[in-house]
Amino acid sequence: MPFTSFRFFFFLAAVIFVYYIVPKRFQWAVLLAASYAFYLYSGIDNVFFIVGTTLFTYLSALLMQSMRNKNQKKIDALGDGLTVEKKREMKKAVAKKIHTVQVLTVLVNLATLASLKYLNLFIGSANDMFTLFRWDASIPFVNLIVPLGLSYYTFNSIGYLIDIGRGKYPAEKHLGKFALFVSFFPSVVQGPLNRFGDVGVQLKEPHKLEYDNLKNGALLILWGLFKKLVIADRVSAIAGTIFAPGFTDYNGSQILFGVLAYSFQIYGDFSGGTDITRGAAQMMGINLPMNFERPFFSTSLGDFWKRWHMSLGAWMREYVFYPVMLCRPVSNLSKKMRKKHGSYAGKMVPSVAAPMVVFFLIGIWHGITSQYIVNGLYNATLISASVAMVPVYNKLIEKLHINTETFSYKLFQIFRTTVLLFISRIIVKAPSLKDAGLMIKAMFTSIDLDFLFGLDGKIYKYGVNEKEMGIVVFSILILLVVGILQENGVKIRETLAKQNIFFRWALVLLLIAFILIFGVYGPNYNASDFIYGRF
Amino acid sequence: MEKLLEILKSVRDDVDFENETKLIDDEILDSFDIVSIVGELCDAYDITITVDDMEPENFNSASAILALVERLIDEM
Repeated sequence: MPFTSFRFFFFLAAVIFVYYIVPKRFQWAVLLAASYAFYLYSGIDNVFFIVGTTLFTYLSALLMQSMRNKNQKKIDALGDGLTVEKKREMKKAVAKKIHTVQVLTVLVNLATLASLKYLNLFIGSANDMFTLFRWDASIPFVNLIVPLGLSYYTFNSIGYLIDIGRGKYPAEKHLGKFALFVSFFPSVVQGPLNRFGDVGVQLKEPHKLEYDNLKNGALLILWGLFKKLVIADRVSAIAGTIFAPGFTDYNGSQILFGVLAYSFQIYGDFSGGTDITRGAAQMMGINLPMNFERPFFSTSLGDFWKRWHMSLGAWMREYVFYPVMLCRPVSNLSKKMRKKHGSYAGKMVPSVAAPMVVFFLIGIWHGITSQYIVNGLYNATLISASVAMVPVYNKLIEKLHINTETFSYKLFQIFRTTVLLFISRIIVKAPSLKDAGLMIKAMFTSIDLDFLFGLDGKIYKYGVNEKEMGIVVFSILILLVVGILQENGVKIRETLAKQNIFFRWALVLLLIAFILIFGVYGPNYNASDFIYGRF
Repeated sequence: MEKLLEILKSVRDDVDFENETKLIDDEILDSFDIVSIVGELCDAYDITITVDDMEPENFNSASAILALVERLIDEM
């Protein structure tokens, strides 16, 4: 059931209606039933995997909790008979055991994820090897359906297991309420990634019907629909043509046009989808974490990753980045470097090690292909380099007397980041790595301004004609104006609420009409699937 | 406290560690800074800061960091 379909909105309206009329203590049950109904709609086979992950994670967390509780009881029973050292020793011993359980259960979750997502890829590579060595063997491919939202609910479950292992909060005893956290329907398809300590707790609590929540949630959904249906789905034809396999007529301007269109497409698609998700949840009084903070205004690649798919970034920081940085080998190495070569060298060890690991993982999270992996390493290298180059930059800025506080400098930074991001997008979107190389080279060598500004009319030959391009440019301008206002601290929905009622409703109705008239509805009035639903 | 402020300044000399109370919440320090600070603290006080201590409230202000360091020294 795509988030842009009328079916989904009927479903959402029905769920919200029931949610607010049942006694508050059953609200979670309504959401659980709705989530499973939503999930079953995507296929009955899928449901076994999410049920399996839910049960396994639920029981593993309870096991860790009971280990911790038993130990605490033992310590309490012995009371004053224990020295502080002895108590600490007992706690350490059980923490070690819990850690083992934590690692094993996380591995089981990861193995499930990897086998469902990548098994056929592994089999394919193995078969290639057999052919290479001329062995007369081949492994048959397995008929696997990747369950809906597999990566998202697995990552949520892994985060939960690690939190319980670390003793951040007690394990959830209620199976139904935990199952709701794993399967909550607005965020199960394409995130954002949720933390049990935040969203899990909100899902358990009763929620009063509040007009502001309904209104703000609905507005966010509208905004998401605008980004997805009017912008993303309209420009998708451009990238579809220019990055299609077999398209070899590389001209720098075309590539630039294609990657620009693709950037708006993927942003509109993913952030629009997230807005619908967060809006739907908000209508039920549940605040899901932010996933995007105007990534087009990023001043560095590091800054971009703080604004793009933020919930994945936060997940990686918490469960990969810090553990890698603070693990013994890395911290020992950086300690040694610091002692031998000073604090700059010490800082370099983690700044190289951690981004490599994090971006390699982000790369294969999207897919085990050489393009995703190269893109991960590209991002990691640039981020490590930006940390390494800080002293050089500072010297350069000082020598050239550049004022970094000016608007022009910020604009330069945004431009630089955009170019770096374009390269990253091409690496992933090109039909192959080799094509990506050719495209990137072309982008920097032949730029034809007549083409880019539509003066020779060739720009309209990629699936978006002149009239449609007008809609696209106008819509992107709206997006930019809203973005600039938000960058300057204006809260759009709050500001709107303060306006005269006629103006407010006129604006909302205009947006609805705009989406209905200019939105792209694919075959059978179903908008195209969300790109990030695939991951 | 002075020794701590000196360490913090050695990592980021552009931050007002004496007065800031939302170093993490306001994103004044990023994760690279935190890890550098952790490294320096471990060296200077001969303590081990683990992943479990990586909570925003432990790093939001100089006094919070000091409290963390003192707790870890006590636990040694």
